[in-house]
Amino acid sequence: MLALGAAAAGAGDDPRLRAADPADLAYTYAVGAFAPEYAPPAPGSYTLPPIDTVTDHALLDADGRPTTLFALTQGRLAVVAFVYTTCIEATGCPLSLAVLHRLDRAIAADAELARRVVLVTISFDPERDTPARMAVMRSFHAPASDWRFATTRDEAELQPLLADFDQPVAKLRFADGAWTGLFRHVLKVFLLDGESRVRNVYSVGLLDATLVLTDLRTLLLESAAHGGKG
Amino acid sequence: MARLVSSRCLMSAALAALLLAAAPARADETCMSPYMPKITGQEDYVYVWTLGIEGVGDGSDKLVTIGANPADAAHYGKVISSVSVGGRHEAHHAGFGDDRRHLWAGGLDDSKIWVFDVAPDPAHPKLVRTLDSFVKDSGGVVGPHTFFALPGRMLITGLSNQKDHGGRTALVEYNNDGKFIQTLWLPDKGAYGYDARVQPRLNRMLTSSFTGWNNYMTDLRKVIADAEAMKHFGNTVLVWDFHARKPIQTLDVPGAPLEIRWALQPRHNYAFTTAALKSKLWLIEQQDDGTFKASEVADIANPMDVPLPADLSLSADDRFLFVDTFMDGTCRVYDVSDPHQPKLVHTEKIGSQVNMVSETWDGKRVYFTSSLLANWDKTGKDSEQFLKAYGWDGNRLSPLFAVDFLREKLGRPHIMHFGQERFYKNQIYAGETGRLVAAR
Repeated sequence: MLALGAAAAGAGDDPRLRAADPADLAYTYAVGAFAPEYAPPAPGSYTLPPIDTVTDHALLDADGRPTTLFALTQGRLAVVAFVYTTCIEATGCPLSLAVLHRLDRAIAADAELARRVVLVTISFDPERDTPARMAVMRSFHAPASDWRFATTRDEAELQPLLADFDQPVAKLRFADGAWTGLFRHVLKVFLLDGESRVRNVYSVGLLDATLVLTDLRTLLLESAAHGGKG
Repeated sequence: MARLVSSRCLMSAALAALLLAAAPARADETCMSPYMPKITGQEDYVYVWTLGIEGVGDGSDKLVTIGANPADAAHYGKVISSVSVGGRHEAHHAGFGDDRRHLWAGGLDDSKIWVFDVAPDPAHPKLVRTLDSFVKDSGGVVGPHTFFALPGRMLITGLSNQKDHGGRTALVEYNNDGKFIQTLWLPDKGAYGYDARVQPRLNRMLTSSFTGWNNYMTDLRKVIADAEAMKHFGNTVLVWDFHARKPIQTLDVPGAPLEIRWALQPRHNYAFTTAALKSKLWLIEQQDDGTFKASEVADIANPMDVPLPADLSLSADDRFLFVDTFMDGTCRVYDVSDPHQPKLVHTEKIGSQVNMVSETWDGKRVYFTSSLLANWDKTGKDSEQFLKAYGWDGNRLSPLFAVDFLREKLGRPHIMHFGQERFYKNQIYAGETGRLVAAR
């Protein structure tokens, strides 16, 4: 963490960020980066009852084109993650991106998953995370599967999306009220089925690529049992 | 601008790459769900879910907010606000949701649930939702007890059922908006419920077992004198495959095992619980083959006196275990560095009766409340009702302040949770050094 803190300070083009040490944000999270010490239950040996249903929302894709959430998911199983690209919390957005990176490689290596699953990373910082910046993020990860990067046009587009997903995000402020350039957010990654129902929510303590893959395969088995699509 | 974008993205990419390697788990605020944010510094408020008493104040159950930061001398140890929910419902336990904003609080009698929003004004929580359909939603579960935050949802343990008001019960899940998700009835071998706690890195959940509505809503002296009633207490701890929500082991822990506290440090694959009726401290420990084993590791006071151990709190470093015994109003502190051989290191008389104990993340302050259940609390001059704050220096408890809940016309104080201005105002926590604020 100390090394990461130095990296954060050294990267500072913004004087506010020089003051922010990732260790100072650690209070936001409970169990830290998640290191599972178990084998998940077998796919299909359990159920994932629907938690909620989300609606469609306007987005901008990484090439700057207007799109929507459902246009990206197209009725497929979807893993949807909210991030901001300047996040310096090791157990926040970088963890989310790391897990989706792993998922991307695993999905690409499985023909059925590759056909039935889409990954969607959406920024909740439309002011700084422009489509161009999301394109840079995409190029870093060089998706092997269908992994989409998107942002929103502005706060007016963003807030209903966050509210629909129950994804709390707030600007971190110094004692005098000035924005630090950072956000406080509960890391959440959402598993959607083909009917846009939330079937699981992963946070630190639960977010693990193997576990998400197991849940994806469970939903595929469920879909097959019902003779329907994902 | 391009360079700025690249440097930021590279940083995130580097962090992501680093995280591709497994990192050790971090401990959590003691006793709270590991899936919710923790408050690591000085708490500003203690929220106390309080049972109403007929003839005391408005007589209603209420959420009471107590000032707890000595830097705010005007409110330190004082009642800042209280929100009545109207009527008496056997207010008992409460728990924050996954963003620590909404506090869910339950009534064991009529199974109502109230949700308070503490974020807009942490000194004055607001009641924002009342759920009065718990029994119907769940298919007959009664007595919402533990509220344990899961990502995107709330796990609630039941204590009883609508059919016979006995101990057969279930786990119930709602989403954060109060929409019912599912009911999981407990198996025949361990049908009673009480607490539920998850150890994420092991994918294991433990549930404990108390008694049904017929007993917890009856005068304790009558229950003890009724041999038949005394047969209707739980004697098991269930081990669950948490992700699958399936019980996989039934452990014999006789005498109503109540609160469960997982150890918080890496590789500490164990939990503690206390058996209320037998006055034993139990260690629930994972074996080399992955299964769990329950072992008695200590008597708590003299079991023959039926001291009724109630709440317990394990320090964040897994060293100290605070155990309250209701009947003698005493807190016993054990050094559990060796969990198989707890050593009693301190004993403190808190009051005529004591139930709940809540320890701060830094282990420096410990809060106690007095009430167990409306019909189980002591009567007459022994019916003290208080919140008491103590300092803990690793050797002894030292009084900080006390709030008399009868003199303040509030009622019977039960579970406590902490609030902090900085947290809810989204300010960066500056720790002991004040580094961030000073850096400006």
